[in-house]
Amino acid sequence: MKKRNLLLAALVLASLPAAPALAGWKLVPHAKPITVAKGTLTVTPDADWNRWSVRPIKKGEVWTLDGTGLNEVYFVSGLIVGETLYRDADKKNRPLPTLTKGMALTDIPEFFESSNRIALNTSLFTVTGVEPAKMGERDAVKFNYEYAVEGSPLKRRGTAIGSLSGGVLYLISYSAPATHFYEQNRAKAEAIMASAHY
Amino acid sequence: MALLARSLRIVLAALLAIQPELVETARAQEAAAQAASLPVADEEAYKPVDKDERGLWMDTEEGERQLKASQQVIRDPALNAYVRKVLCNLVGPGKCASIRLYIVRTPDFNASMAVNGAMVVYSGLLLRTQNEAQLAAVLGHEYTHFAGHHGLRMFRQVKEKSAAAAWLAFTGIGLIASFSMAASLFSYSRDMEREADSGGLALMAAAGYDTREASKVWEQLRAEMDATAAVRNTKSRKDKNGGIFATHPPTAERVANLAQMATANPGVAGATGLDSYSAAMGHWWPVFFDDQLKRNDLGASDYLLAALAQQGWSPWLLYARGELYRRRALGNDIADAEKFYSQGIEAGGELPELWRGRGLARLKLERPEDGKTDLNEYLRRSPDAVDKAMIAMMAGETR
Repeated sequence: MKKRNLLLAALVLASLPAAPALAGWKLVPHAKPITVAKGTLTVTPDADWNRWSVRPIKKGEVWTLDGTGLNEVYFVSGLIVGETLYRDADKKNRPLPTLTKGMALTDIPEFFESSNRIALNTSLFTVTGVEPAKMGERDAVKFNYEYAVEGSPLKRRGTAIGSLSGGVLYLISYSAPATHFYEQNRAKAEAIMASAHY
Repeated sequence: MALLARSLRIVLAALLAIQPELVETARAQEAAAQAASLPVADEEAYKPVDKDERGLWMDTEEGERQLKASQQVIRDPALNAYVRKVLCNLVGPGKCASIRLYIVRTPDFNASMAVNGAMVVYSGLLLRTQNEAQLAAVLGHEYTHFAGHHGLRMFRQVKEKSAAAAWLAFTGIGLIASFSMAASLFSYSRDMEREADSGGLALMAAAGYDTREASKVWEQLRAEMDATAAVRNTKSRKDKNGGIFATHPPTAERVANLAQMATANPGVAGATGLDSYSAAMGHWWPVFFDDQLKRNDLGASDYLLAALAQQGWSPWLLYARGELYRRRALGNDIADAEKFYSQGIEAGGELPELWRGRGLARLKLERPEDGKTDLNEYLRRSPDAVDKAMIAMMAGETR
């Protein structure tokens, strides 16, 4: 098992009893608008992607080109106050932060960082850039990050865009190994982000 | 297969950490019986003596190779030199030379020593021990586990008792376990813990530390667990095995035993090494605390800050407290955060992030002009900040 996605690995294990035979991948054709993560967030990819039928949370969705270890796009659509960015798998000992009332755009990278540090069980997570952006017509924040998980020499890199409307969060992140893969597919991921609206 | 055997060993270690009571009694009995038959790892170049030990060494060495390449290892020469100095003070230069020290960036309280002499110290430990004597207490404790071959003794017992079904059930854990996890998952028997406590305390006394500090390490952990539980409105885990303290449960019994041993063997009263410890950690505490505050454990984080503030609330401690409350953002947290940042600034703090935090808090408190002034001050002090574009937009906006 790749150490890459402790989070998703844990999710697969946790979701096995509930969804034994149906977990799989579906093609997302390019150039067609599609609503993601069971909400109002809509994107139009410029390449064919694969959508995972396993949802990390009800309002989440995972896409990949070649497998989540090499490139992964995570969508969250319509997260409300009190909800977590990923499944709160170890709520008792290591609870994930929840979306709080009155969050500002600058809080999104902090919320994302803290959620990932806990979900991936790593201290090696750095936000490397934060700038204003747009998601459709709405104000958004775009940020870049780097991280590594425990015991792995591999550095990973990511970029994400998040937007808040009435305290409700919409987010798209793209993560990949820093060596080769991140740059290889960054444009395809950014095309998704640029097309996003809700 | 070597890989399979290695996984088995890791898994067995994990299994023990999860269900320590299964083997507790038998372990205690066998530990005593085997203690006599094992050589003590005192020699500088100790080598494994039998098949079990050679196998365990091989696995550990492979794990250590991976650890060496890990991005988690903190390679700062000054910090490594300091922790090594404390260790060498305890065990003497000869034995110290055969120990490889790895300080890893992990916010948990833990330290471990593998059978081949690789010692792993977590940054979360350095944040929690409050002076050099307390750090020495933990290092001495781990060294005693190593010198007494506790890891090998444990491994033999597990190997004899384990069932195939149990190992299959835990493969998931074994496969993702990294070296530091595998090493730290060894949960020793109560007898071995007592032996390590008393051995560690004797080393402390001989090195000239105040041995009363040893029991305080565990007392602090218990208080921290209470603090976590109070904020989360759950029951404190201080008397439970498991969780992040699985390897060394800070039981009341252990605190009492250590306090009693300290009375009998006090070392040098008052020699806590607080100044040298603070000097060595000064640069790293903010980094380690940043890792802690992003763990979403306000109770423990606030407790640790108060502990660090025993010498007074310095500007960075006030900044850290502001960050803690601003990030949680419940009830009056934002107003409290604003107050802590202001105190940090008034105390002469020069960290640009003090103004960033206060500015963001003030915007939320509906003080837009004050907030923007602060954010502009942050940008002036930190023109190359990673979030300068975002903050500049907020500093210019009226909303």
